[in-house]
Amino acid sequence: MSDSLTREEVLHVARLARIKLTEEEIEKYSHQLKTLMDDVDKIKEVKLNSEERVITPTEEVTVCREDVAGEMLDPEEIMINVPNSNGNFVEVPVMIDE
Amino acid sequence: MSKYLDLGIKELHNKLVNKEIKPKDLVLEAFERIEANQDLNAFITLDKEGAIKRAEELENVESDSLYYGIPIAIKDNIVTKGLRTTCASHILDNFYPIYDATIIETIKNNNMIIIGKTNMDEFAMGSTSQTSYFGAPKNPWNKTKVSGGSSGGSAVCVSAGLVPFALGSDTGGSIRQPSSYCGIVGMKPTYGRVSRYGLIAFGSSLDQIGPMTKTVYDNALLLNLISGHDDKDLTSSRKPVDDYTRLIGKPIDGLKIGVPKFFMSEIVSDEVKSKVEEIIKLLEDNGAQIEYIDIDYIENAVTLYQIIAMGEASSNLARFDGIKYGFSKKDPEGIDDLYESTRGEGFGEEVKRRIMVGSYLLSGDNAKIYYNKALQIRNGIRESFLKAFEKYDLIIGPNATTTAYNLGEGLDDPLKTFLDDILVIPVNMAGLPGMNVPIGFGKDKLPIGLQIIGDEFEEAKMYQLASFIEEKLNLDLDPFKEVK
Repeated sequence: MSDSLTREEVLHVARLARIKLTEEEIEKYSHQLKTLMDDVDKIKEVKLNSEERVITPTEEVTVCREDVAGEMLDPEEIMINVPNSNGNFVEVPVMIDE
Repeated sequence: MSKYLDLGIKELHNKLVNKEIKPKDLVLEAFERIEANQDLNAFITLDKEGAIKRAEELENVESDSLYYGIPIAIKDNIVTKGLRTTCASHILDNFYPIYDATIIETIKNNNMIIIGKTNMDEFAMGSTSQTSYFGAPKNPWNKTKVSGGSSGGSAVCVSAGLVPFALGSDTGGSIRQPSSYCGIVGMKPTYGRVSRYGLIAFGSSLDQIGPMTKTVYDNALLLNLISGHDDKDLTSSRKPVDDYTRLIGKPIDGLKIGVPKFFMSEIVSDEVKSKVEEIIKLLEDNGAQIEYIDIDYIENAVTLYQIIAMGEASSNLARFDGIKYGFSKKDPEGIDDLYESTRGEGFGEEVKRRIMVGSYLLSGDNAKIYYNKALQIRNGIRESFLKAFEKYDLIIGPNATTTAYNLGEGLDDPLKTFLDDILVIPVNMAGLPGMNVPIGFGKDKLPIGLQIIGDEFEEAKMYQLASFIEEKLNLDLDPFKEVK
């Protein structure tokens, strides 16, 4: 068994995660990701004593609050952190080909 | 230099009510201490101007709360309106939240004064705070050692007495482990006890905010303050809030305490093990009954954590896309490049590694092979702990396998950061409360801590045992003792 992922495998997981990697990173992660993935493989050996799952560790039933209109955020405030804006619009690159 | 900040919350409160001191005195003292110890790198952002302004305003406000005028430091993954909140990441290094986390509202409503935002591992991913974009904090007991993580800045800040009251967050030991390394008291409450609204999400089914302090009593007082139901957090508990100080000082005879055999196995260093054994002896001598126990799947907790925490993180961190807030790639070549370059340049190495593995583990059939199975084993751990608590009042063991190690160690080993947390992760899996109380020092005068685990919502009983140990040992926990 190889101790690293192939370049294609690294690029595949990077694409899943929407992360662009440098050449240096591709090389480094090919080993590190493999180490991690091999380690989590240990789970396959574990014998279960029940099929029950815990998603959130609490027995309390989650209750949604009433859907009541409350205070709104100020549009100008919202825009403070937007990297590219035009008035109260958020600017993004063109997404649909003309 | 005045030394008011060496006092506890109650003593400070009395002096503030008697007008012996003003809130501003405490704020100035905190900044004096912070400025004299900048090399510890405990903070990412300080709010000197805001804190002094608030302290001056409070001079005209009647002290109507125990917490009035008390300074506090906040981990930098908890949002504070108008005060930069970075998660120790380049991707948020210019982010100014437009609302307060629920617990920050509570803190402000009780007239506490926020001094600044503490250093941490980037997005709380790490066990040493070395993944911070702003450089690692240093352990006050030995500045060549790590602080632990991810709430390393809060632990350093409290340990060095810069601001002796702080909040951290704990996803897989991030309050308890740095508390152990820095010799302070840290509590990860029961999942759902403290609102997570405004805590920047890492592993949502694991994350909890909790107090970090010098003393057990102050810790319980802070937990009293921040606990309670919040409509804005779906997982927040509706159980009434206890008075967490109510059992402090009560005798411990008759308490039944379990010690998981795994916690005292060969994974733990001899000096840590022998210190914990001394405590076991002390507790037995004072009437507690100690038994060694087995917890199912406890040895698998790290693997579960890798799968569940990385999986949840990959989903939670999808929101950082360079569009709505945070760092954004300039002049991208289309939308894909905007996403991918922003995230490639904005996230650090550890965070990218975890998001990539998490995305992989949740993709296609892997979700069933890994994630689903992890949730099933997680049920097994939780059931086993809950069963143990039918017989035992508390469970104890070490928090960390060793004392703090050298800065720079293990950075290229992707597994080390998880193995550092091998003893603290099981508690997050089960949703239980866990805490650290200092129990002594290793050979290089580096702190060793005891982990106390309670049944759900039994934090008061944990403080009872912790305060007993604190009083009996009466340790000198000032890291600068000889220097002063």
